[in-house]
Amino acid sequence: MTSLSGSGKRHGPRVDLGLTPVGAEANPLGAEVNLGITPAGEELDMSRRKLLRGLGLAGVAAAGGALGLVAYRDEAQAAPVEGASGQDHQWCRVVDLRACKGERKCVSACQERHGLPPEQTWMRTLSWHDETGEEFFMPVMCQMCQNPPCLNVCPVSATTKTEQGVILVDQDLCIGSRACMAACPYEARYFNWNAPAPTNRMPEPSPNTPEFPTNQIGTVGKCVLCADRIPYSNDLPACVEACPRGAHFIGDLVTDIAVNGQSTVKLSTFLREGNAVRFKEELGTNPRCYYIPGNGQTVGGPLEGVQ
Amino acid sequence: MTSVFESTAPENSQPDVVEAAMRPFRPASRQFWIAIALLTLVVVIGIAAWIYQLQNGMGVAGYTDRSFWSIYISDVVAIIGVSYGGAVVSAILLLTGASWRAPLVRLSEGMALVTVMVGALLVIPHLGRPDRLINMVLHANTASPVFWDMVAIIIYTFATLVFFLLPLVPDTATLLDSHPDELGRGRRFLFRFISRGWVGSTEQRRVLHSAMIVVAIVIIPLAVSVHSVLAWAFALVSRPGWHESIWAPYFVIAALYSGVALVILVAAGFRRGYHLEAFITTMHFVRLGFIMAALGAVYVYLTFADLLPSAYVGEAGPNEVIYGTLFGGVAVWFWLFVVAGTILPIVLIALPWTRNIWGIVIAAVLVVIAMWIKRLIMVIETSGYSRLTNSFGDLFQFTWVSAAVTLSAVAAIPLLLMLLFRVVPLLSIAEVQHLTGDTDDPVAEVSSPGKASHGRAAGTAGAVILLMVALGAVGATQAQPAYAASDPAVLRAGAADPTVNVTAVADGLENTLTATVTSSGKPVEGALVSFYESTTMFAPGDNLVPLGAVQTDATGTAEVTYEAAVTGPRTISATYLPTVLGDPVTGTATLDVTEAVSHYAPPPPRALASVGRTLVFSLFGLVIIVFIILIAQVVRVRRACRPALNESVEHVSLT
Ligand code: SF4
Ligand code: SF4
Repeated sequence: MTSLSGSGKRHGPRVDLGLTPVGAEANPLGAEVNLGITPAGEELDMSRRKLLRGLGLAGVAAAGGALGLVAYRDEAQAAPVEGASGQDHQWCRVVDLRACKGERKCVSACQERHGLPPEQTWMRTLSWHDETGEEFFMPVMCQMCQNPPCLNVCPVSATTKTEQGVILVDQDLCIGSRACMAACPYEARYFNWNAPAPTNRMPEPSPNTPEFPTNQIGTVGKCVLCADRIPYSNDLPACVEACPRGAHFIGDLVTDIAVNGQSTVKLSTFLREGNAVRFKEELGTNPRCYYIPGNGQTVGGPLEGVQ
Repeated sequence: MTSVFESTAPENSQPDVVEAAMRPFRPASRQFWIAIALLTLVVVIGIAAWIYQLQNGMGVAGYTDRSFWSIYISDVVAIIGVSYGGAVVSAILLLTGASWRAPLVRLSEGMALVTVMVGALLVIPHLGRPDRLINMVLHANTASPVFWDMVAIIIYTFATLVFFLLPLVPDTATLLDSHPDELGRGRRFLFRFISRGWVGSTEQRRVLHSAMIVVAIVIIPLAVSVHSVLAWAFALVSRPGWHESIWAPYFVIAALYSGVALVILVAAGFRRGYHLEAFITTMHFVRLGFIMAALGAVYVYLTFADLLPSAYVGEAGPNEVIYGTLFGGVAVWFWLFVVAGTILPIVLIALPWTRNIWGIVIAAVLVVIAMWIKRLIMVIETSGYSRLTNSFGDLFQFTWVSAAVTLSAVAAIPLLLMLLFRVVPLLSIAEVQHLTGDTDDPVAEVSSPGKASHGRAAGTAGAVILLMVALGAVGATQAQPAYAASDPAVLRAGAADPTVNVTAVADGLENTLTATVTSSGKPVEGALVSFYESTTMFAPGDNLVPLGAVQTDATGTAEVTYEAAVTGPRTISATYLPTVLGDPVTGTATLDVTEAVSHYAPPPPRALASVGRTLVFSLFGLVIIVFIILIAQVVRVRRACRPALNESVEHVSLT
């Protein structure tokens, strides 16, 4: 693995674009606007010039207003969490592939907890055989990317990242454009294609929060890291609890601790000693899911024979 | 009224354009109404299918997680694409002074307007929750290409509308003047509204011409932007096959290619329906055919250029997708496109004996259909490829729902065009008259002031755009979520008792934990002591985090050093197993860590993040400027008409 703390350091020197971050300078500039309408001709230009200049100034004013309004939606990038801030916790998960034997208990636990139909596997376990016929397994779910492609392309900011690094989907905002499904490199997202919507399968009453969503027809769902159980002091995520072999860990990068329901580890040591890697590191998604290889698996899987 | 209108009376062998323009306004034939009824039926069935889809989910349209984008988005791309054909025939030919375009302009502009609206409406069945469309405005994410799709489509539609409406001002005036009674009350009212104040003075014609030039200049980049942003909805995700830098120009050329084909079809249809043979001649079809063939050749080239780099480099995803296109699941359709969509049409136009109206119309039909197929396979092939298993899922399958919705959009285009041209004249009377020498030459007369004026307008626009970009650059904020790392820590240790004694000494960040194991008062050598710190994380009570295990030395002492990740009180414990099966012996010490350092550091922002922000702000500025330029053109023409409203007699006498 790679340095825990410095997942971004590999970017090399940062490009300094020399842009002055600011707010105030915009106004003086705005006042200086000269639209450069120098009448070369004469006829009837007085009134038109006035008109054009009026429109131009109105436009600059409107543009200024728009710039303020559409502030790139920072809140989608760091949605506040009640009770604790991003300085207290940064959740992540670790999957110890050495332990996984493909029982898929995590899959069924997740589907049951979230009322998912069989074709929706927020947690899924890939499997493949190597040349000797040995079978390998790899559980895959939303990797909680810190530079999430799904969040960037969502036209309505229905996908948000909490301050604590969890990517969630607001089922009441989602317009079902599926841009996020196109963007997710881990195929972690599932659409509610059919009615009757999976809604009815949810245990009642469902809070329908982004942390514990009620599935609705025409919207997108994915692993939520069982965020309704944060700070995980009473219950761990369903998949973590369900794994009889302790392959799934839920961890916190700030306090540097991870648990799998059976043991507790010091996260940074565990990752370092296990040579943890991240899936599709090259895409720059900066995922919060660490895999500990060890049975000869190729992380990311071979080209063929994956189910 | 002594101006140009008098010269429009038929007086020579020239075809009478005013008479021809009146044809659609006379009672229509039975065939016309049968066609309208049939097309309406298809549209209604499509709407019913969509309602069925709304109730039962998009699954009924054939969608699955491995065809999450498919037919509807290809329909949107294909139909908005053909709209570009209207822009090319009208705007580019207007700017290049190709006057032969005159009889085609109204038809192609009408086609552009209708298709962009139908295409934009098709986004609705594409969405899972169209009832929440308003969120695109209320919760817009300006970093999303889909958001900019919406912006680009809206502004392009507006520009198309302006481009369509402005030339109607003189035409409606002409018709009001020549056939006031035959128009009927509704049209008369509409035409009066559109043409109010228009007397056809030199000044009015000069302003109108200049305004049209400005709109034409604006509409071309707008059309390019629409198809580029549509392409970027695909290319801005990292899927093999979509994530291609060539996609934006590829989409633009595809749009032009299929768009010119549809102009040919629309021209052929209305020519036949309203007997416009005298105006739209074989020459028009041949010229459009040449344009289409040239664009087709460019498209073939771009297709090759799109496939080669990914096919050459052996990366799994792109390789599989290209293999699937050429030889796999959609290969039949791909090769059908190659033959019917590129080779056949180009041959039909190239060979002299098929280079006639029929040959060109057949070529255009082939192009329109094959280009739709091409878009569909580009979409479903990549969407069917799972990047997790590196294999294809089940590709998209048609169902009656998606077929009905698509057909309904296809039927809506001729339907709306037929209805549109029962309301507004289908020939650009002023331009055709100008072309056939029916009237004095308004453009030649005023060309120099006109040019000066639109040159100035363009210059102004350029200056303002530059300014906006500069403003955007300055306004780019680099606000980052504030994650503060904790401060350096010092650990202070307490003391504990029984057989394992633990002490902790803090030296800066290094906390040294020492355990002394004694048995009956004597130090134990070689005992394996495990150190833990307690945490309340992940458990209601204390949870022990291992800090390492060390053997005691001759003095019975074991030592580890560690850095605390978080501050706060905790228990340090050291455990020693005297025998393998025996009870552990544990010593504890209570610590209050006042300073600590976490291994966690927030990831730095992406190097290009602030550039995106600048781009977004600049784009907003641009959008507003374009709207202002377009509105200003309408205002200009209206203002030019205003003096005539009050002092029309005086004004006309001046001309
Ligand atoms: S794994 Fe997919 S869904 Fe999860 S955060 Fe990353 S891009 Fe989004
Ligand atoms: S964390 Fe929860 S939602 Fe995510 S896979 Fe595990 S059980 Fe499912």
